[in-house]
Amino acid sequence: MFSIIKAAVGGLTALCRVNGHQQGLLHGHLKVLAAGLKTHDIPPDHSDVVLPDRRKLKFVNKMPNFKKAKKEMKNLKDIQGPATAANAFTKGEFAIVAMGGGYLHWGHIEMIRLTINRKMDPKTTFARWRVNGPYKPVTRKGLGMRMGGGKGAIDQYVTPVRYGRFIVEVGGKVELGEIQRIMTEVAQKLPFKAEVFSRASLAAFQKKHADMEQNNQNPWTFKEITLGNMLGIRKVLSPKDLCHNGRFAGKFHLPWRV
Amino acid sequence: MAATLCRILLPKQGWLPFTQCVRHGSKSVTRHKRPLHFLKQKLMSVTRYIPPPRPAPIGAYPRQTIRDQEDDPFTMLVKKNLKSVFQESKMIAVVQNSGSTADEMMLLKYKLHKHGITVKFFPNQVMRSFLKDSTYSNMAPLFIGHTVLFISKEPKVKEMLSSLRTSRHMLLLGACIENTLLSAQGVVSYSKLPSVAVVQGELVSGLTLLTSQTAAMLQRHPAQLSALLQQHVKQQSSEGAPKAQEAT
Repeated sequence: MFSIIKAAVGGLTALCRVNGHQQGLLHGHLKVLAAGLKTHDIPPDHSDVVLPDRRKLKFVNKMPNFKKAKKEMKNLKDIQGPATAANAFTKGEFAIVAMGGGYLHWGHIEMIRLTINRKMDPKTTFARWRVNGPYKPVTRKGLGMRMGGGKGAIDQYVTPVRYGRFIVEVGGKVELGEIQRIMTEVAQKLPFKAEVFSRASLAAFQKKHADMEQNNQNPWTFKEITLGNMLGIRKVLSPKDLCHNGRFAGKFHLPWRV
Repeated sequence: MAATLCRILLPKQGWLPFTQCVRHGSKSVTRHKRPLHFLKQKLMSVTRYIPPPRPAPIGAYPRQTIRDQEDDPFTMLVKKNLKSVFQESKMIAVVQNSGSTADEMMLLKYKLHKHGITVKFFPNQVMRSFLKDSTYSNMAPLFIGHTVLFISKEPKVKEMLSSLRTSRHMLLLGACIENTLLSAQGVVSYSKLPSVAVVQGELVSGLTLLTSQTAAMLQRHPAQLSALLQQHVKQQSSEGAPKAQEAT
């Protein structure tokens, strides 16, 4: 019994000695530990933000409610050029914006919905769809079929998306840092290039392009040459080039063009 | 005729030539980036964005403009000295020194000291910056090159000019005598001016000339006065007669 106690005490002293040795290594008698005053940034005030009742993304149907489905032409011009609808913020603060044209099918929409619904906090954030459910029918012929025999059957429905269109808008009592990771994860999985913007960053992005147009040192502009049909260049250009002024090539947006 | 011509050009009914003579293998919207027609490539390169020239980074080149720097203490001391000089002295002459030796300088200083003129040297830059702020700003063009300042309380111009005439290397540029700027010729003409008393006397004598003459005449013998008056009458009549003859 006594021996146990002695051993325990001995162990304790050994520990203390070890600690003392550690303290000697720390050189507390040499370092000057100064206490500073940390200034904190004032956190943003979200008191005026009103969160809606349904905060998560709604379920979107695979196909619209048609009694009789009609086959449609390919009509690829719904991908071309910049978006005129749903290209500005409404209620939210952050959004995923398409940086190119493309088609979103139900799989993409489900992926977006599930990822965002799972990862966001419904107490502080809300999310809204800025894109319609799939409505455009896409036909496909069976595998290995030869050409001819009429148009194929409707395979799936898709939503056309143009450059500059908002996909999902997120808002609430959150800052960009909290939400950006989730949204970039979603944006990278989309079939076209997409980026996450906040109100301020989108305004800055648009201003940057406007400044580029302003301070362009090149005296020749695409618009001037095409409008005047200089050297008969419209022979090799499409009518869309008149509208887009060389900034778009098919469904792609060329950010280095002004 | 037009119809027959058209018939030749359009062999088939309802046949129109294609408006676009560009071959393409795919539609306009593709998953890949469609190869551009060579002319369109050229157009894109001609109308590319050229950014404005970037300014040189800070510190790459030395500054071109000489900023207004604060005066160092020595300059301030010199300026104080200058201020007192301009206040006290009536004559400030600027002389160009083109390589006079030390003994020549010494002799000159000795000669001038006898008449109460001091020889002073001031740096041109300091002088110019002092004059810029003062009322004597028009003197600034004088201070270019090796300059010497001759200062005296009384404007002893004649003595100064005589000593400068003998010295070989000293050339008078200009002077500020009693708050009036004078060039070298102006200084010479100033030296030739008579003194103030003489000028005053001349003025007084000119004004009192007539009265003094009449007083002198009255003081003489009365016979002389009557003879003078008779002569005067004769002259008057002789003048009147020729004038009447000329008139007729």
